[in-house]
Amino acid sequence: MTTSANDGAPAVAVGRRELGSYLLALSACALTTLIAAPLSSYFDLANIVMVFLLVVVLVAVRLGRGPAVTAAFVSVALFDFFLVPPRLSFAVNDAQYLLTFAIMLTVALITGQLTAGLKVQAQLASVREQRAGALYEMSRELAGALSLDQVIAICQRCVAAVIQAESCLVLPDDAGQLQVVGSGGQTAHWIKPDMARMAFDGGACTDLDAASAVGYFALRAPTRVRGVLAVTFHSDSTARLLEHHSLLEAVASLAAIAIERLHYVDVANKTELQMVAERLRSSVLSAVSHDLRTPLTALVGLADALAAGRPALADHQRESAEAIRDQAVRLSGLVGNLLDMARLNAGAVKLRKEWQPLEEVIGSSIKLLERNLAAHPVSVALPADLPLLEFDAVLIERVFCNLIENAAKYATPHTPIEISARVQDAFVQITVSDSGRGIPLKPDIDIFQMFVRGTRESAEPGIGLGLAICRAIVEAHLGTITAHNREQGGACFMFTLPRGNPPVVELDDTPAIARDG
Amino acid sequence: MAEIAPRVIVIEDEVQIRRFVRQALEEEGCRVFEAGTAAQGLIDAGTRKPDLVILDLGLPDRDGIDVIRDLRTWSDVAIIILSARSHEDDKIRALDAGADDYLAKPFGVGELLARTRAMLRRKSRAGDEVAPTVHFGDVAVDLSRRTVHRHDEPVHLTALEYRLLGVLLANSGRVLTHRHLLKEVWGPSFIESSHYLRVYVGHLRQKLEGDPAQPRHILTETGVGYRFQP
Repeated sequence: MTTSANDGAPAVAVGRRELGSYLLALSACALTTLIAAPLSSYFDLANIVMVFLLVVVLVAVRLGRGPAVTAAFVSVALFDFFLVPPRLSFAVNDAQYLLTFAIMLTVALITGQLTAGLKVQAQLASVREQRAGALYEMSRELAGALSLDQVIAICQRCVAAVIQAESCLVLPDDAGQLQVVGSGGQTAHWIKPDMARMAFDGGACTDLDAASAVGYFALRAPTRVRGVLAVTFHSDSTARLLEHHSLLEAVASLAAIAIERLHYVDVANKTELQMVAERLRSSVLSAVSHDLRTPLTALVGLADALAAGRPALADHQRESAEAIRDQAVRLSGLVGNLLDMARLNAGAVKLRKEWQPLEEVIGSSIKLLERNLAAHPVSVALPADLPLLEFDAVLIERVFCNLIENAAKYATPHTPIEISARVQDAFVQITVSDSGRGIPLKPDIDIFQMFVRGTRESAEPGIGLGLAICRAIVEAHLGTITAHNREQGGACFMFTLPRGNPPVVELDDTPAIARDG
Repeated sequence: MAEIAPRVIVIEDEVQIRRFVRQALEEEGCRVFEAGTAAQGLIDAGTRKPDLVILDLGLPDRDGIDVIRDLRTWSDVAIIILSARSHEDDKIRALDAGADDYLAKPFGVGELLARTRAMLRRKSRAGDEVAPTVHFGDVAVDLSRRTVHRHDEPVHLTALEYRLLGVLLANSGRVLTHRHLLKEVWGPSFIESSHYLRVYVGHLRQKLEGDPAQPRHILTETGVGYRFQP
């Protein structure tokens, strides 16, 4: 800004200009009198009056309202003094001149007012047009802006061009903290962060900070407030800020829309990138899964065929073949766990949720684990009125399998594994418990973390992925999973699933055969 | 089994898997033909007149589902597919395309033989007249009189429950997808209402199974469908 060096100067200049125009009005009246005086002997006084009225109108057009009013009074006075007999005196011979004076004054004042008003209107219209043009120009430039820096530069240019003020944008960074941008780092001192924050949070409000005369305008875009436009004239005049209030709001909303547009362009780019990355990840996972499973399938099958083959092997050979089979099956389970965890972690798992009874998935889990459950009877106690639940059966089966397998691994042989469920508020709580030595719970160890096991280097197989998978699956279903030890001994795992709004099943009660009459 | 050895075609690109499948089936008394590609498998299926096709879904030259569709246009041979455990969508697509059963990799010889026997039994029975009474567990279903008895006590089924049981019995040993069962029992407009199917299967288990939570005959194929096992 160039005017900041002589802040007081404009007021003085304006005062001087106004005084000049009054003097000009007075001299115009004097000149008219000088010209009219010699003519009065040739023209009727009624015509001379017209000349004075013409001068008042011209003064109004050129110099505005104040000088026009002055000219009106001065004209009447000069007309009376110099032209109406007796000359060079304010006295009037003929009373009819009083009427002339009154009408002359009235006509002069009214035409002066109207003319001056028109002039002001015309000036305002031209200012408005200039502003509208500037806003249009700005919106055209913003439409083509490809970066935030461009948007900021365009805003600053527009504000500087139209109202000769300095401006800055205050935008939230990734962490939501407001940062001044586009100031070049040097003139930001006039922006108060707390005022900017107020405008940002208020959304709809405009803060006129009277002390420093800085205006803060929220950048309100359709979805949310995108930042704050700070404007200052570097003077303590809040009047000018108020005067340009609506213009600045328009600038702010244009900038907001441009910033929002850039934001969504950014979001779209990121989403596409993410989709490509995810597709790659899931194709890598399925390739790895195929490559690992194929040899394992051959290994399991070949060992099994060897053990069961004819002629029958010697006992120790058959036992070795069976051991190879069992180890291969175990390895395959571990690979399955690793791949599942990778898939869950990568967010590559889509839940195929369907409404279904819990009983079914418990039954299929027990069936899958038949081998492991030889030494543990499983008792299932579900309330008869348990509602249908919405879940992905394959994944929840995995949770049950992992929990039941764990229970079978750690529980004292020939003790039962108990599965129960109950409705609790908006959730259904499912419990899997055993009568073993329980879980070594330590406050600093989260057993649901990946690769964490209750006992390090224990003889039991497993690498501590099972519970982490359980947690990932339960949390994907918006439930929670916890573990504790029972008072009477043994571990107890509890997880919840939200109840939601189960669909109504209309049951038919027509019998399969018509009863004999 | 009949005197003539049943013929089985194994279409699988991994040699070692073909090897143990062949060994196990031959010991069971089958004649086994191996094919490493879908193209070779389809040619064999046309010339060898097989009773059973064992098909890997992940073949290098063609999509396994395509192979099933192709096969089904001219043959009703029993098809067992081999697929990875976590690929439920593939299994459902394969079953809907006309496969009869699946084996999840890795699988043991015991499972392979059990499924093979069930399929061959279905095949050999297909020509015979349908027995008027079906027995499983302690349940007897009289198909001609539409009555069901358990422990010689009559069991009252609703019309829909009976229809569902009928479809399961008629496809004994096969895996039926949710979609297939919903279409057969409720009609095409109910294909998305899988909760109906699940509730009715629950009812059947309550009425016919010893322990409904651990069923022995009406089995769940999680994420895929159901299988009736006598």
